[in-house]
Amino acid sequence: MATQVDLELFRRRVPAQVKLVLLALLACLLLVVDAHTRYLDPVRQGVSVLLYPLQRVVMLPRDAVALAQDYSNAAQLLREESEALQRQRIELAQVVSNAAQLVTENRQLRRLLGVVDDKAAVETVVVEVLYEPATDYRRRLVFNKGTNAGIEPGMPVIDEGGIVGQIIRATPFSAEAAMLTDEQLAVPVQLLRNGLRLIAFGSAVPGKIEVRYFASDADIRAGDVLVTSGIGGGFPAGLSVATVETVERDAASGFARALAQPSSHPERYRHFLVLKTMAAGSDRQAADAGAPANQGEPLAPNAAN
Amino acid sequence: MQEPQPIKESLLRQTQRTERSTSAGLVRTQGMGSDQLDQRSDGWVVWGSIGLFFLLSLLPWRLLPMAPDLLMVVLAFWAVHEPRRVGMLTGFVLGLLLDVHDAGPLGQYALTYVLACYGAVILHRRLLRFNLWRQALHMMPVLLTARVVAVALTAWVSGIWPGWSWLVGMLLTCIMWVPIGWVLLLPGNRLESMSAATE
Repeated sequence: MATQVDLELFRRRVPAQVKLVLLALLACLLLVVDAHTRYLDPVRQGVSVLLYPLQRVVMLPRDAVALAQDYSNAAQLLREESEALQRQRIELAQVVSNAAQLVTENRQLRRLLGVVDDKAAVETVVVEVLYEPATDYRRRLVFNKGTNAGIEPGMPVIDEGGIVGQIIRATPFSAEAAMLTDEQLAVPVQLLRNGLRLIAFGSAVPGKIEVRYFASDADIRAGDVLVTSGIGGGFPAGLSVATVETVERDAASGFARALAQPSSHPERYRHFLVLKTMAAGSDRQAADAGAPANQGEPLAPNAAN
Repeated sequence: MQEPQPIKESLLRQTQRTERSTSAGLVRTQGMGSDQLDQRSDGWVVWGSIGLFFLLSLLPWRLLPMAPDLLMVVLAFWAVHEPRRVGMLTGFVLGLLLDVHDAGPLGQYALTYVLACYGAVILHRRLLRFNLWRQALHMMPVLLTARVVAVALTAWVSGIWPGWSWLVGMLLTCIMWVPIGWVLLLPGNRLESMSAATE
């Protein structure tokens, strides 16, 4: 007969309470270990390699729509882009001639000062955003290329506006970058106006970054431009980071903090550039940025908060 | 020559009847008769719907503030209606996958789904007697507790408070129990027996 007759009198199964305690404890253990160490990174890598095909399949409709849109708007887009490029070319021509002059002058001055000029052209990889993770805790982007394309944790990500973020984790096929606004990221910066060295952190204010730990009488004001200082080795010097918007000076504590608007626009585009600083740079740089001890903020050894 | 046939037929019918009654008796020995406590859904429907909602969870709509957690609803729903198939282990594995996808704190969703599935498994005998609205109402504290515990623990461990929008999202999640449950029960005609039982 079709009716399934189950004559088992006593169910021999693990009691629900035992299962609950075991699995909940395991989850809590994962939470704690993941928050404080990097031992679970191989687990993440393995699972994300498994997930990658699923993610691509799910994103297929979106990619198809984007492709169709690109086709239909191709002429319009090209016209707009070429106009913008024309304008930029004219603007840049002036800057370039100025820069060439500055480069020769700078080289001469460096030679006079005895500073070794070891700046080498950095190799780059173009990456596309795979998806933006839906987590309330961090500001992250996941890109469609990983260690197979030579991307490693610690490499900076830029767009045409400047620094977007830094690669935090890399799997063979994907890489996860913390954006500038992520609270775990810290970037060594410098004021363009007077060379004041600072450290920029992600902030609790959405879309802004925060400069902390400087004396309340420091010479910094709204409108100042922050660029990377190159200290620490993770980020090449001179990349645009942000513009200072407000400065709060706290006379009681003797410290001040400033909010700044990032100059890059990670929310606008799909394509970004990863600078392969590790591959091109010296061993010291790689050792600095890849150190397992300072998890999540490889560039801020003094960011103990 | 024609007489024995009806006798044979009636005998046959009688034996069939007795067979049926004994088998019905066997079913009764399980405690509950053939009401919805004993009904089962097709494995394809159960695992297919879980897989589908997991894939849906990989899409960017969850970036919206106050987005409901549909995967949680489906997991808890099957933990209530198919506790022998879907339980805490399923919740743990899928939660871990979602944690890796979200690049968030590893174990956060795993803990949420384990707690939610535990509540569902514990309550399933009572809940099966109710209609979908009452089930949603009963599951609300379970789902809320699961999420609150996970969020609080994650905030404590990682030191970052994620705001309050998830709480509204959880209320939406509980409301989604009704439409999702209605759709999930469509394939096996389980809805009709449910409404018959509650009326």
